Amino acid sequence: MAERTLLNQLIDALRCLPGVGPKSAQRIAFHLLERDRDGGSRLARVMGEAMARIRRCSRCRTLSEHEQCGLCANPNRDPSLLCVVEQPSEIVAIEHATDFRGYYFVLGGHLSPLDGIGPAELGLDLLEARLREGQVTELILAISPTVEGSVTAQYIAECAGAAAVHVTRIAHGVPLGGELEHVDGGTLALAFSGRRTL
Amino acid sequence: MSGAGGLLRALVLHRRDYGNTSLLVELFAQGQGRFPAIAKGARRGRRPTSALLQPFQPLWVGVVGRGEVLTLTRVEAAARPFDLGGPALPCAFYLNELLMRLLGRHDPQAPIFAFYHAALGELAAGAHLDSVLRQFELRLLEGLGYAPSLDLVVDGGTPVAPDRHYLVEPGRGTRAAPAAAAGERVSGATLLALARGEALAPAQAREARALFRRLLQPHLGPKPLKSRELFRQWRGGRQE
Repeated sequence: MAERTLLNQLIDALRCLPGVGPKSAQRIAFHLLERDRDGGSRLARVMGEAMARIRRCSRCRTLSEHEQCGLCANPNRDPSLLCVVEQPSEIVAIEHATDFRGYYFVLGGHLSPLDGIGPAELGLDLLEARLREGQVTELILAISPTVEGSVTAQYIAECAGAAAVHVTRIAHGVPLGGELEHVDGGTLALAFSGRRTL
Repeated sequence: MSGAGGLLRALVLHRRDYGNTSLLVELFAQGQGRFPAIAKGARRGRRPTSALLQPFQPLWVGVVGRGEVLTLTRVEAAARPFDLGGPALPCAFYLNELLMRLLGRHDPQAPIFAFYHAALGELAAGAHLDSVLRQFELRLLEGLGYAPSLDLVVDGGTPVAPDRHYLVEPGRGTRAAPAAAAGERVSGATLLALARGEALAPAQAREARALFRRLLQPHLGPKPLKSRELFRQWRGGRQE
């Protein structure tokens, strides 16, 4: 058993990062200590502050150090469009890739009865309250096309139906540059059933 | 009971992410029962299998390993996924949750696999949800050896009469009900319909639901079934 030195503790702590095993953790620790102490201190300071101050946005449940995140606080976006995503990282992807300029709502996962994740854990009561405010006319579901994702989508669609909000789901199908032959059967079936007129 | 080239017929009961690129799936395989398996690189790589490794998708799988957790070597679709929509979907999750909670790992239970497969088929075909669920619960209890006989009375073995009421208790079987025990009495007609696998009238469906909740309770333990809660909220939302 290794001695419980500060160095060992650092290496052990670094292993909480995704994709970092014992070897990489050791490499990172030695790099910071021997070559980049400033960078290491900065990382520690920012990390400490981020862990202490970043909370969920009270409106869309994304991560933010303010009560309301930058996107929710921006008055120039279209309040009639609301896009539901599973993770905050998906907001970044949609903002980069699309010209969507409405608001977002982050679930933080999907309904998964076997993991004990129900509507309350996903903040769906907050979403329902938001829909009842009456500003949203179209709810766009950008939820992963897994079985759990589709339960979540259907559940939300029923809630939105009760609030008389039009619900759409992003298209599922063949990826750009993909070859039909190599696409799995389920995706191909979805792509076929969701075909559209040219 | 492996088919094409050592592959097993299987369905995924549950899956969760494992590491950065892999999945840990709980499989229910024909002739092998329920067991966990690692699908290495299922979420990345040249041919990701995460699209196939989902609940309600009939699969052919190849597994290797000797411990409790096996390693998946091959995954092929055996048929199209069961097309479950609306309230049939939480019901299908309920079946999975029952299997996860009641079935021991590596217990072959061949008939239950067949009933599970058939129940998913009926849910996908839009059959009456209550009837499908009650039949599955009955078959599951029978497979595990906990099912009371619903059409015969315990003391004496006389057949159940449709116009009388009975008490069915976990571990004690079916007995004629004294008039005082109003709440938990079940009509003979309901018991006979269940035993024969016939369709249930709405009042019978309610009775049968309460009956199976009592019969399953001792085996499920105190932790509530999450899919049951989800289904209740689902129905609640629709009635508003």
